[in-house]
Amino acid sequence: MALVTTPWQRRKEAGAVSVLLLVLIMVILAATGTGAMHISPLQVVAILLKKIHITLPVSYDPAMEGVLLMIRLPRVLLGVLTGAGLAVAGAAMQGLFRNPMADPGLIGISSGASVGAVLVLSLQLWVPALTGNGWLHYYGMNIAAFAAAFAAAWLIIRIARTANGSSVTMMLLGGIAVNALCAAFTGLLTYLSPNEQLRSIVFWMMGSLGAATWQTVLVVMPFILLPVVLLPRLAPAMNVFALGEREAQHSGVRVQSLKMQLMLLATLAVAAGVAVTGVIGFVGLVVPHMIRQFTGPSYRILFPCSALGGAILITLSDLLCRTIIAPAELPVGIVTAIIGAPFFIWLIMKEKKKLVL
Amino acid sequence: MMLDIQNISLSLGGRRILQHVSLQAKAGELCVVMGANGAGKTTLLKVLAGEYRHYTGQIRLHGEQLQSFSVAEQAQRRAVLSQQVVLQLAFTVREVVQMGRFVHHAAPELDTAIVDYAMDTMQVADLAGRSWVTLSGGQQQRVHMARVLAQLLEKPQLEKSTAGKKMLLLDEPVTGMDIRHQQLALQLAKKLTEYGMLVIAVLHDFQLAAAYADQLIFLHQGGVHVAGSVQEVLTAPHIRHCFGIGVQVLVHPQCNHPIVIPAFAETSNLLYHGNNDLFSPVSMEQLPDSQPESTHP
Repeated sequence: MALVTTPWQRRKEAGAVSVLLLVLIMVILAATGTGAMHISPLQVVAILLKKIHITLPVSYDPAMEGVLLMIRLPRVLLGVLTGAGLAVAGAAMQGLFRNPMADPGLIGISSGASVGAVLVLSLQLWVPALTGNGWLHYYGMNIAAFAAAFAAAWLIIRIARTANGSSVTMMLLGGIAVNALCAAFTGLLTYLSPNEQLRSIVFWMMGSLGAATWQTVLVVMPFILLPVVLLPRLAPAMNVFALGEREAQHSGVRVQSLKMQLMLLATLAVAAGVAVTGVIGFVGLVVPHMIRQFTGPSYRILFPCSALGGAILITLSDLLCRTIIAPAELPVGIVTAIIGAPFFIWLIMKEKKKLVL
Repeated sequence: MMLDIQNISLSLGGRRILQHVSLQAKAGELCVVMGANGAGKTTLLKVLAGEYRHYTGQIRLHGEQLQSFSVAEQAQRRAVLSQQVVLQLAFTVREVVQMGRFVHHAAPELDTAIVDYAMDTMQVADLAGRSWVTLSGGQQQRVHMARVLAQLLEKPQLEKSTAGKKMLLLDEPVTGMDIRHQQLALQLAKKLTEYGMLVIAVLHDFQLAAAYADQLIFLHQGGVHVAGSVQEVLTAPHIRHCFGIGVQVLVHPQCNHPIVIPAFAETSNLLYHGNNDLFSPVSMEQLPDSQPESTHP
């Protein structure tokens, strides 16, 4: 594909990505160091470098190594992955629906994924292979969440489709309907579940990184890295797609193929996150929108920057969750909703003039 | 013959929109398609743009079946400018024009040069850094013409070497443009034909059609009523047949093409006796009484 860039554009892209990358690294250092046992950023770096046999002249308590490597790091990395996944999925959905209100949570893809995940959780009673920390458990959850999320996405696209392209109103109304349907299903499964299952299901409703282990990180990683790497390759076509489906086709975009790829990659990223962390809302709405304010709407730069921005947002939110009422902790979904819902209201007010509802 | 349409028909939602349309167009021609609302102009253009594939009959472009071209192959051969393009995101003018280069696998330097040339030609170069959403409707239309031009070009200049290879479809391209830019748009279309491109434009303005068309086509109820030179087609009987309105076709001494004006004696009472009898005196009287009812307590 023709990637038309001027040197100025490329400098701007490289600049934005490096700034965000730097911020992410600092946030990761701060987040891994903060908790009941404080580890300074230098000590974090020293411990990590020691793993690759580089010794820094920094002294640290040997217990720090265990806390950092076994508890903090997997949790922070899981936050980085799910945040990146949700944000690129949001950007992809906004491209697919050609409007800035599309968010995997609002239009029911996340809750679709959670139906799949909760279904597997409930089935654990009867299918012992799904229980515990087995790989089958995680992959089963992933596959079920992905299938249910994809079904939800497909339904929303059908609902939003009108003769004049996809409609924002229909998309949001469809989202309400799909969310209601999924809430009913999860409610039903919750009601039918015995006590021990209930706790894990309630945990899904809220969204939390508390389940992080190296195993969950490794299970989630490929399903999120794949969309994060592949979505930017669709960026030139998505930019043209912003003109409209017909115009994109006239310009040589294979529209049906593009839409299918966007749907697959976005649901893959969302479902992988939901399967281990539950529903964390509004990241896909807030992050791409904020990034656009600085970089402009081109998807070439929006995807990498959104991935980094989503990672930063979740890492910071989770840091807040586990420090604000320590030693207890809040589900991270609550924090993102407190940030995201007012943002959504502001976005509605701002778009009100432009939108034809 | 660059474009050869043989007896195509198309139904949409059970309705026959196009019936038995046959047309031929040569490279280097500016064909103007005219007709009343609902005559099938836009649908014909959409068929040529590859949007509907379920037509019956044959369309040959450069001697090959239109259906045999992939989406990308079509986009390399023809560009389309549609009526309404809604773009919600704040792309810059340059970015929008760049979108025209999507289908070409050209070097970035060449793409940039072509984009610059297209923006210069459509007089939007001074807007290059402006955000799309801040432009007026006419400016947006010019930016789209620049985008479409960028899609058609292979070098940052017009050249004879692409003669007979490129087709441009324009669906009411001058909507919302001021009179100067209307002329500019049609002059560009004309210029492209001088370099051997085929331009097919849907227009509503008889004056523009008369001034620029090499071939004028009147559609009526989904079929071709008449096609030929401006002199042959732009006559009062044809216009009355296709548009249901009486006109006078005049010759102006300083103008080498006919001028069409409504025949006022006939058209002043169009509301009552025209094709459209929605506002007939009878139905006016049948409108519900808007006076507040006083019988309610």
